[in-house]
Amino acid sequence: MKAHSIKHWIISQSLNQPKRTIIFSLIITAFMASGLRFFYIEEDMMKLLPAEMDSRKTWETIKDEFGNTEMIYIAFGNKDKSVFDDKLIADLWNLTEALESIPEIEEINSMINMNKLQSEDGNLEVEDLVQSRDLNADQISEIKSYLDKYPKLKLRVVSQNDDYVNIIIKSYNDVALDVVARIIDTAVEELNDYEVFIGGVPYVNGVISTLIRDDVIGLVRIGMLVMILILFFSLRSFPAVLMVLSVIFLSVIAMMGSMGWVLEITGSRRFVFSLINTSMPIILLTIANSDGVHIITKFFKKLRQSGDTQLAVEQTMESLTLPIFLTSITTAAAFLSMIYSPLEVQTGYGVTIAIGIFWALVLSYTLLPSLLVLKKWNLDSKAVRETSFLENVIDRFGKGVLENPKRVLSSGLILVFIGLIGINWLSVEVNMQSFFKKGTTVRETMEFLDREMIGSLDMQFRFEGDMKEPETLAKIERLQNKMEENQEVTTSMSIADAIKQMHRTVMDDDPDYETIPDTRGKVNNLFTLYAMSGDPDDFSSLVDYEYSSGLMTTFMRNMTSSLIIEYVESTHDFIADSLEAADKITVTGMLVVFRDLITLIIRSSAISISISIVLIALIAGFFFKRILWGLLAVVPLTSAVILNFGFMGIFGVDLNHITAILSSIIIGVGVDFAIHYISQYRRLVKQKVSVDVLSREVVDDVGYPIILDALSNMAFGALLFSQFLPIQHMGGLMVFGMISTSVGTLTILATTAELLKHKLIKL
Amino acid sequence: MKKFIFGIISISFVLGQNGYELAKMVDEKPTPKDLSNKTKMVLTNSKGKTRTNAMVSKSTDGNNKQIIWFIEPKDDKGVAFLKIEHDDKDDEMRMWLPAFKKVRRISSKKKGDSFMGSDLSYEDLSSRELDENKYKRLDDEHVDEVDCYVLEIIPKPEAKSTYTKHISWIAKDGLYGVKEESFDKRGELKKKKSFTYQKLKNYYVIKKVFVEDVQKKHTTEVTFSDVQVDTGIDENLFQEKNLKRLPHN
Repeated sequence: MKAHSIKHWIISQSLNQPKRTIIFSLIITAFMASGLRFFYIEEDMMKLLPAEMDSRKTWETIKDEFGNTEMIYIAFGNKDKSVFDDKLIADLWNLTEALESIPEIEEINSMINMNKLQSEDGNLEVEDLVQSRDLNADQISEIKSYLDKYPKLKLRVVSQNDDYVNIIIKSYNDVALDVVARIIDTAVEELNDYEVFIGGVPYVNGVISTLIRDDVIGLVRIGMLVMILILFFSLRSFPAVLMVLSVIFLSVIAMMGSMGWVLEITGSRRFVFSLINTSMPIILLTIANSDGVHIITKFFKKLRQSGDTQLAVEQTMESLTLPIFLTSITTAAAFLSMIYSPLEVQTGYGVTIAIGIFWALVLSYTLLPSLLVLKKWNLDSKAVRETSFLENVIDRFGKGVLENPKRVLSSGLILVFIGLIGINWLSVEVNMQSFFKKGTTVRETMEFLDREMIGSLDMQFRFEGDMKEPETLAKIERLQNKMEENQEVTTSMSIADAIKQMHRTVMDDDPDYETIPDTRGKVNNLFTLYAMSGDPDDFSSLVDYEYSSGLMTTFMRNMTSSLIIEYVESTHDFIADSLEAADKITVTGMLVVFRDLITLIIRSSAISISISIVLIALIAGFFFKRILWGLLAVVPLTSAVILNFGFMGIFGVDLNHITAILSSIIIGVGVDFAIHYISQYRRLVKQKVSVDVLSREVVDDVGYPIILDALSNMAFGALLFSQFLPIQHMGGLMVFGMISTSVGTLTILATTAELLKHKLIKL
Repeated sequence: MKKFIFGIISISFVLGQNGYELAKMVDEKPTPKDLSNKTKMVLTNSKGKTRTNAMVSKSTDGNNKQIIWFIEPKDDKGVAFLKIEHDDKDDEMRMWLPAFKKVRRISSKKKGDSFMGSDLSYEDLSSRELDENKYKRLDDEHVDEVDCYVLEIIPKPEAKSTYTKHISWIAKDGLYGVKEESFDKRGELKKKKSFTYQKLKNYYVIKKVFVEDVQKKHTTEVTFSDVQVDTGIDENLFQEKNLKRLPHN
C-alpha cells in the first residue's frame, strides 16, 4: 500500500508539475556533475594492485633499492648502414646530452656515456667509451673493437647488425608515463635522417593510455551517432530520441561527477578513474538507454490506443515503475557486488555505476515522463499511428519461437552447452603486443626491438644474500645461464657480469678469468678497486647499498602470457631444485605484474558474476514473491555469460582486462530484459489473460523494446574499428552480448516460461 | 683530499680585495710540508643506511704524494693506495689488492666520479687552478658567528668542471673555508659542504668535513684524528713496496 502511494506520488509529479520536476532534476544533476572538478585519472597500473600482493611487494622493494627498473628504449639508424659513423655518433651525442638535461629523466644509457674498463700493461683504466662528440676514424674503430669484445654489453647499445643504436632511458619513479612519452617524442624530433623506434613498457603504457582514451572517445561518438540513427528509424520521432538521449547524457555526467565528489569527500583511492574504468560510461549508457527505450515504446503504444498524452504517460508509468525500479536495483546490486573484489578500484567502479544507475532511474521517473507530458504529440504522426518495421519483425519472430518452444529451448540449451565447452579454450592474454594490429607504429617498434635489439620486455629477480660471496654470485650466474637458454631471452644483466668483467681486466685482460673469483676477498678487492677508479654508483642499479641484495634483469622478446607463466613457473622450479634458494629469490617485472593483475580481474569478475547472479535471483524472487521467478530472471543472463566466454574461447578472442568487463554489461543489460519480460508476464496473469496466448502477448509487448534496446546498444559495434585489438574484440562482443541477452530472453526465458506456464500462473 | 683542504688554509689578513685577489691569497697561503692522520669516512644514503671506512693516510709535498692504508671495513683491511701527482704527465695511482697479491695501476679521467662512493668527487678533492676560474666577491656574511668573505667561483671552460658555480664562505681570520655550495650543469644546487678546523703549528688543519649531495640525499662525513703535521715523513715511504704493509706508526 505504501509502495503503491509512493508510485502514485512520483507519477503525479510528472503529470501535474512537469516543469518544476524538470527544473529540480536538472539542478540536482548539475550539482552532482559539478564533482567532475575533483575527478582524478590514475594511469599507473601498479597502483591498481593490492599492496599485499607478492609481485607488487617485490616490485616496490626493487624500485626502492635499485630505482626505477622499467626502461624506455629509443633506437635509431638506417638499415644496413653501420652506426660506427662520425655523423651518427655526433647525433647520438647530442640526443644523449639533450635527454640528460631533462629533469624528469633520472638516467640515460647509450654508447655515449658507457664506461670503458680496460687493462693495459697492468694499468686498470675506467674511462668514457666515447671521449668526445667529434671523432676520427681510428677513435670510432677503437670503440667498435671494445664493444665487439663484450657482445653482451654491445647488444644493449647497438643492434645485432650494427645498423641501429639504442638509448636506454630511466625516468624518475614519480613521473607520469604519458609525460615521459611526450618528452621523448619531442626529443627525437631532430632525428630526421634516421629511422626511429621508441619502445619499452613505460613508453607503451604512457602512449597506450592516451591512445586508447582518444580511440575509445572517437569510436563512442560514432557509436552514439549510430545509436541515435537506430533509435530514430525505429521510434521515428526526433523529440523522442532526444528525450532518451537526455536521460543517458544527464545520468552519465551525474555519475562521473559523483565519482569526483566521493573522492573529494572520502579521499579514498578507490574512486580514481583508471584504464579499467574506461568502460563505465558505455555501461551506464546502455543501462540508461534501456530505461528510456522501454518508457518511450510503451508510451507510443498507449498513446496509439488512447490518443491522450496524460493518460498514456500515466499508464506507461503505472506499468513500468516497478520493472524499471527492479531492473535498476538488481543491476545496481550486481555492480555493488564488486565491493568484494580484491582490486580496490573495482569497489569505486561498482559503487559509482550504482550511483549512475540510481540517477538514471530517478531521471526516468521524473524528467522523461515530464518531457513526454509537455510535448504536444501529433497523433497522426507515423511514430504514434503505425507500428514500426522492427515491431512487425518481432511479432513474426515471437510467433516462430512460441509455436515451437521445445525446439527453440533445446537449440538454446545446445548453444549454451557448446559455450560451456568453449570456456575451456578461453585464454588469457595480457601481452601488450597483442593489443596492436600488425603494421601499427607501436607494434612495428616492438617487433623491431625484438628482432634487432634486446627485446622490449624484461623480468626481474631480486636476490637476497651477501653479494660479495662467490657462492651467491655463482647462483646468479647459473640463473642467468638458465634464463638465456630460452630462445626468447636476448640477454641478462647482473652484478655477476660486472664482477666477471673486472676480474678479467685485473688479470691482464685474460678471457680465462672472465669468471666469478673463488674467494670473497677477491670479490671485495674488485669492488674496492672499482670504487677507487670508477664510480661505485655505476652498480647502484645492480646491487644495494649494503651489498645484501642484488638485482638480475632478463631482457626478452615479446612472449604470450601463457609462455610467460610457463617460463616463470619453470624458473621457480629451477630456483627451488637447483639453486636451493627459493626463499631468497623473488621474481617480478611488468609482465608478471600484468599476469597477476589479470588473474585478479578474472577472479574478481568471477566473484562478482556469482554474487550478482545470486543477488539478482534473490531480489527478483523477493519482489515477484516467488523464488521460481528469481531463478527465471537469471536464466537468460547466465546463458549469455556462458555463451560470451564460451564463444570467446571458440573464436580465439583472448580474455584481458578490457574484454573481461563485458560480463558486467551482459549482466547489467541482460537482467533488465528478463525483468521487463517477467513483469509483463505477471501483469498479464493478473489481468487473467488466457494461458494459451499469455507468452505470445508478453513477447508482443516487451519484445520490441528489448530488441530495440539491444539493437541501439549494438551501435557500439563501432568499437570494431578500433586500432586496438582488445577494443575491437569488445566491440564485437558487445554486439554478440546484446544478441545473446535479448534473444536469450525472447527464446530461452520465453520458452521456459511457456513450458512452465501452468506452474507460473499460480501467483 | 687534503690538497683541496690545504688550498683554503692560511693565515692572512685581507681587506678590500676583489674576488680574484682573495682567491689568490687563499691559494698562496702556507701549507704543512707533510701530514699524517687517521681518517674515518661515514657515508649515509637517503634511506639512512651507512657505510663506514677507516684509513691511515700519510702525505707530503702539499698532498702531491699520498699513501693510504685501509683498516675498515674488515673486508678492506690490507688494501692500500698510493698516489703521486705530476704537473707534466698523468698522475700515478697504484693499488695493492691483497686477495690477488697484485699491485694494479689505476687511472680515472672522469672528474665527476665519486671518490670511494662518497659525495666528494675527484674534482672536489683536487685543488682549483687559480686561472681556470672567474671570481666575484659577494657581500660578507657570518656563518655560525665566524666572520666570512663570500666568494662566487665560476669555472671557465678550460677547467672542464662538472659544476657551473660554487659559492664559498671563507673565514676572514685564517682564510679557511667554512662552507661551500656547488651547483650542477643545470645551475641547480648539487652539494653543500661544511668544514671544521683545528689549529696546529700555525696551520689551520681540517678536523671534519660534512658533504651533502642534496639531489641524491646522500651525505658523507669525514673525520680526521691523530693529525700530525711537519713530522718529517720520509719521501721513500711513497713507493709501491710500502703498500703491502701497514706502518706501525
